[in-house]
Amino acid sequence: MTDPVSILVYIFIFPGFLFLAAYALFLAYLDRKIAARMQHRVGPPFFQPLADFIKMLGKEVINPAGVDWRLFDAIPLVALAAVMTAFLYVPVTGASPLSFPGDLVVVLYLMALPTMSLFLMGWLSRNIFSAIGGIRAVTQLFIYEVPFFLALLTPAIMAGSWSISEIVAWQQQNLWIVFFQPIGFIVALIGLQAKLERTPFDIPEAETEIVAGPWTELTGRRLAVMDLTLDISLVVGSALIAALFLGGPALPWTLNPAWLNSAAGFLLFLIKTLAVLLVISSIKVATGRIRIDQLNDIGWKYIASAALVQVGIVLVINYLWVAP
Amino acid sequence: MSVLREMLENLLSRPITVLYPKEKVPIPEAFRGRIAITDDKCIGCSKCSLVCPAQVITMVDGPRDVEFKGKNLARKKRPQVKLFKCIRCGLCERHCPTGAIHLEHEHAGAGTDREVVVT
Amino acid sequence: MPEVVVSIGPQHPALKEPVNFKVIADGEKIVRLELDLSYNHRGIEKAAEQRNFIRVLPLLERVCGICSHSHATAFAKGVEEIMGLEIPPRARYIRTIIAELERMHSHLLWLGVAAHEIGFNTLFMWTWRDRETVQDTLEEMSGNRVHYGMNEIGGVRRDLTPAQVAAALERLPVLEERIRQYVGMVNSEETMLIRFRGVGKMSREEALKYGAVGPTARASGVDYDVRRDDPYLAYAEIPWNVVTDTHGDVYGRTRVRIGELWESTQIVRHCLENLPESPIRIDTPKNAPKGEILSRYEAPRGELAHFIRTNGTDRVERVDIRTPTLANWTSVAACLVNQNIADIPVIVAAIDPCLSCTSRLTVAKKDDRGSR
Repeated sequence: MTDPVSILVYIFIFPGFLFLAAYALFLAYLDRKIAARMQHRVGPPFFQPLADFIKMLGKEVINPAGVDWRLFDAIPLVALAAVMTAFLYVPVTGASPLSFPGDLVVVLYLMALPTMSLFLMGWLSRNIFSAIGGIRAVTQLFIYEVPFFLALLTPAIMAGSWSISEIVAWQQQNLWIVFFQPIGFIVALIGLQAKLERTPFDIPEAETEIVAGPWTELTGRRLAVMDLTLDISLVVGSALIAALFLGGPALPWTLNPAWLNSAAGFLLFLIKTLAVLLVISSIKVATGRIRIDQLNDIGWKYIASAALVQVGIVLVINYLWVAP
Repeated sequence: MSVLREMLENLLSRPITVLYPKEKVPIPEAFRGRIAITDDKCIGCSKCSLVCPAQVITMVDGPRDVEFKGKNLARKKRPQVKLFKCIRCGLCERHCPTGAIHLEHEHAGAGTDREVVVT
Repeated sequence: MPEVVVSIGPQHPALKEPVNFKVIADGEKIVRLELDLSYNHRGIEKAAEQRNFIRVLPLLERVCGICSHSHATAFAKGVEEIMGLEIPPRARYIRTIIAELERMHSHLLWLGVAAHEIGFNTLFMWTWRDRETVQDTLEEMSGNRVHYGMNEIGGVRRDLTPAQVAAALERLPVLEERIRQYVGMVNSEETMLIRFRGVGKMSREEALKYGAVGPTARASGVDYDVRRDDPYLAYAEIPWNVVTDTHGDVYGRTRVRIGELWESTQIVRHCLENLPESPIRIDTPKNAPKGEILSRYEAPRGELAHFIRTNGTDRVERVDIRTPTLANWTSVAACLVNQNIADIPVIVAAIDPCLSCTSRLTVAKKDDRGSR
């Protein structure tokens, strides 16, 4: 697939920016609807996230006094660009045409950028609540990023490759990795919940404690872009976990017409990301927020050690499998 | 675990929200709704105006011949209530000797004029 | 980070009503706290001096929305005692039923708000859904969901019909089942436990020293409840228990309030099943004799005290309201030192603050631009 037109279609239309934005808004709707129904409420209608996005774009942008407004405009766009680029390497209908060895590391790096931009915005708003929120965001990043990276590194060790598409191909020949690494799967889900800053880890945005944390001074189109960034992170994160642990968009056998194979792969992609979303929404509904020092405790004592144990197990399995 | 079970039960059942304009909540009989005055029962004693805590009842001219406890009286005044300022406490209804001023079963609704009156 | 001043309030998402905490924090730990209360001062005590006994009760009801019946009843029973009146038994029982229903709706509201303060919005939605059952009962009985208007000097205004009694009794088992579930949830839900346990701990000596009242004090082991120790209405005739706990932290206060919810359902059930037959009000004199009385009442938040002085006219000369929240603020300021900023909403919510009740006092300084 080296012809430039199809690459451009892949990047901008499907499964690139346009499809990604639409799917992100759809998953945001589903997340809110599931959460509402679990709380015995009705929930928003289908087009609500899109309506929110359009409304926010039209709202007045307020620049706090003494703040560099150009930076404030640019930072959400950088975060949006980062997560959109990360999606290009995640397999959607089969192997990604842009994949290369090491793209797993690139995706993980790009997914960390939104948290950094939240910290920057919290620091730059001359507001004590935003500063506290920004500091909490970075502290949380340090705590969960180690187990999250370890949990996503173990499928790469097992499949022997740093490219996501090749890990999917490995799972096509063998079993889904989740059967070999259940602990890693759970740690990855917890890490994803922390990356997306959702309950029980919505500490940087704690509404009842620090107003809105680093989001306090975001208004109008900046807020729209940042919200969209978080929704797209949800898609990228669940697609990543679906690809690395649940087999991605690949059937155990290859179907004959190529388009049928892609279509089946796409359907599997949708089903698996929806399954991950269901689990993540349930976690959000079932828990309350914990404190940052308690997260420090739990993160290092239990989650990081679980990830290390998983790495150990995978190394042992690899040795036993390969050696004899 | 009870949290998870309740979440699942709620997910699979109908939401408890009353979808207001289409479905309505039944209003109990004893509900204190909008204020109303039945003119032919009022004897103009001004008790309602004296007990109103919010002082929204004024007595205006309203001569009429009424009958009260077997006697015929020539009433001189009758009450006028500011509808949206009434706090619906029901003290006027409690102290009215004839039951002329009372609170209805339905809401007062919404309006934009604070001075609109009911007589 | 060096010490910074984080100003919580007067407008803040954690607070339901305006209050100003200037928190001086070092990183996430609180070093010092300055409290500013009177944003909701409305001059009710002065306005009450100008209204006669019939017109003053709706005014005093509106001191607070959630504990409205408490204020009206405390005042009514104080004036009745000055006048030397004894209200009929049915009136006492009806006042007790409404009082306990009010306690139930207040505690369910509190449980939802406490869950919301730790970000557990699910429990917030569920408890407020169950609170609707209590509100429906109150609406059937009194005609309104808040500000019931049931009291007048000398008795109650409305009677309970057998249909209303039956409907209320039918709703009680539903509530009892839900309360049992909440007990289970509070004791087993992990994030609630780690946010509530050990937070805002106050020992029994500290609770007595700072003058804490109500569930806040009972959670620290102070065994004092006005309904038992200075009985009024029908409480002396009904079997019920005072709920105390020894934890002394927010978890203990949660347990006390849920325990009180359960006791309230039992009291309401007992009163509804044993309503005596009698008139619901007696005739009262227009003027009250000269006298002073301190009328105490166990509001949902603690001990409410009305000091009433009459001078032989049909109005009070002075009414002074000491609300339970006012008594509990000192304990908040004391237990917040050395806690995290993240615990401020939890500790503040644990005393069940009602700022409309609290703001009875405003100080105007002549040299400042406004009043403080």
